[in-house]
Amino acid sequence: MPLGRSGASVNIVDDVDFTIGVGERMALVGESGSGKSLTARALMQLDRVARVSGRIDFEGADLLKLSEREMRKLRGSSIAMVFQDPMSFLNPLMTIGDQVAETLRIRGVGKAEARKRALSVLDELGVDRAAERIDAYPHEFSGGMRQRVVLAMALVGEPRLLIADEPTTALDVRVQDQVLDLLDEVSTRRGLAVLLITHDLGVVAGFADRVMVMYSGRIVEDGEVGDVFARPRHPYTQGLIKAVPRIDQDLATLYAIPGAPPAVMNRPSGCRFHLRCDQRVQRCALELPAMLHAGRTRVACHLHDGKGI
Amino acid sequence: MTVPVALQPTTVGHKGGPTLLETVVCTLVVALLAIAIFGPLFAPGNLFRSDIANSLMPPSATNWLGTDDQGRDVLWRLIVGAQTTLLSAFLVVTLYSLIGVAIATASAAGPRWLDEGLMRITDIGLALPSMIVALGFASAMGPSLRSAVIAMAITGWPLTARMLRGIMRQTMEQPFVAGAEVLGVSKWRLMTKHVLPNSLDVMIVKWAGDIGTTVLVLASLSFIGVGAQPPSAEWGATIAAARGYVSTAWWTVVAPGAAVALTSIAFGLLGDIIQVRRDPSLRGN
Repeated sequence: MPLGRSGASVNIVDDVDFTIGVGERMALVGESGSGKSLTARALMQLDRVARVSGRIDFEGADLLKLSEREMRKLRGSSIAMVFQDPMSFLNPLMTIGDQVAETLRIRGVGKAEARKRALSVLDELGVDRAAERIDAYPHEFSGGMRQRVVLAMALVGEPRLLIADEPTTALDVRVQDQVLDLLDEVSTRRGLAVLLITHDLGVVAGFADRVMVMYSGRIVEDGEVGDVFARPRHPYTQGLIKAVPRIDQDLATLYAIPGAPPAVMNRPSGCRFHLRCDQRVQRCALELPAMLHAGRTRVACHLHDGKGI
Repeated sequence: MTVPVALQPTTVGHKGGPTLLETVVCTLVVALLAIAIFGPLFAPGNLFRSDIANSLMPPSATNWLGTDDQGRDVLWRLIVGAQTTLLSAFLVVTLYSLIGVAIATASAAGPRWLDEGLMRITDIGLALPSMIVALGFASAMGPSLRSAVIAMAITGWPLTARMLRGIMRQTMEQPFVAGAEVLGVSKWRLMTKHVLPNSLDVMIVKWAGDIGTTVLVLASLSFIGVGAQPPSAEWGATIAAARGYVSTAWWTVVAPGAAVALTSIAFGLLGDIIQVRRDPSLRGN
């Protein structure tokens, strides 16, 4: 799935190829600017200026072949998405009840019925005294409660896939935890597949079944969460895991991957990570590593070529 | 009228008590509206009839602001005229605001060529002096209050359209708009339910101030003869009818003139006050 932006026509994201099973929780991690959010936006067909080539299959239909009208029907009812900042995600001039019900109202559900279902979702997501507060405005809620409202908006249409773009980044750690628990609970109860975009490996470990690592617009590694954390194959993944601060470690020795990710217009030849890699060999600068498969684990690195992964 | 909550609660204006100016202006505006709405209900029935025997009487206990050349009470005609004048001004501002909102929405939501086209038309509208154009339209339609109102409505919208389009463009960048979009909300609903209501707060300030300007321009059009016609009590028309007596019976001209000035200043300041109340950083300017 190469993505390109017309005009400058740079491929921002290349060969992004992945599958999310029913009810599966996939985490997509990577540094800022690695193409995580763009990949999610491409799934939702949100960027009109971006050209997406390839296929995006959802329940047997290629999303790239759908008209804008058909795509709109799918958004919210089959695939829903939540973003980072729960405050600015809510319309300050609409009551939370109206906002949650809107997803249903635009699909022709009656006013009373939509309100009833909005209330039951708000209840399910643990919004305190939902029945009393359904006519309150967003600014009357705390950050954590607002994120629950945002989730309710996304879930009221009973989607099968939820794309969560850094849903907890703007929240404090305790609330973060609550929201993730909630997401965990809802996804289990509803059999909801989740694509969680984050740069927080702690969140990945606590929530996801599988993790996919992106670097500079390409997937470099993909596997079961436990397996990847125990035995990261790609030097970049190894670096990421090493860079997580640990409580039993002196802060002064905190590891950081040297250098910064390359700009989109200025990507190095060969493996895009090779300039920052501490295990690079000559081949890394010359040749783009192919994706190596072993079961459901994948890695794109020359170190593992021919040696098994 | 409902005043929408400002986008960021932190910018909602200062909480201090009203200043003297604010008290005066708000009292004046409320009084003007009350007079315009209820005043005519109590008016005597002879305001449009001549009573030559009593013409051009100076202010007295029976006629507080004197009488005009037809012997009609100046104060009561001002009160009846207040309704005509303010109603017309509200109508003008409402009409051109609707046109402006429609054009701004189409421009902000539509494809690039539509935006370009509409904004170039808006530029032309902004470049032409709207009063002269209104004068032309009104005289072409035949001088009457209705012509003046229509003429001002079709020349008044460009600034609203230009400002509101910019604000809507900004509002469209707000995450909640993207949020509604990913849940499948259509473009039309996105604009009308999410973008427009969150873009109007600045415009309401402008429209409140516009009432003042409109009263003035409307009176001017009537004064030069393309607006309200005698025996209408509209203020501009009243000044026009009385202008020959300015040296012999000053009250016939000064009273409606002062009414026009006071009303346009009061509404102009009302706009400023709302703006300052919303944004404390403007206080003291």
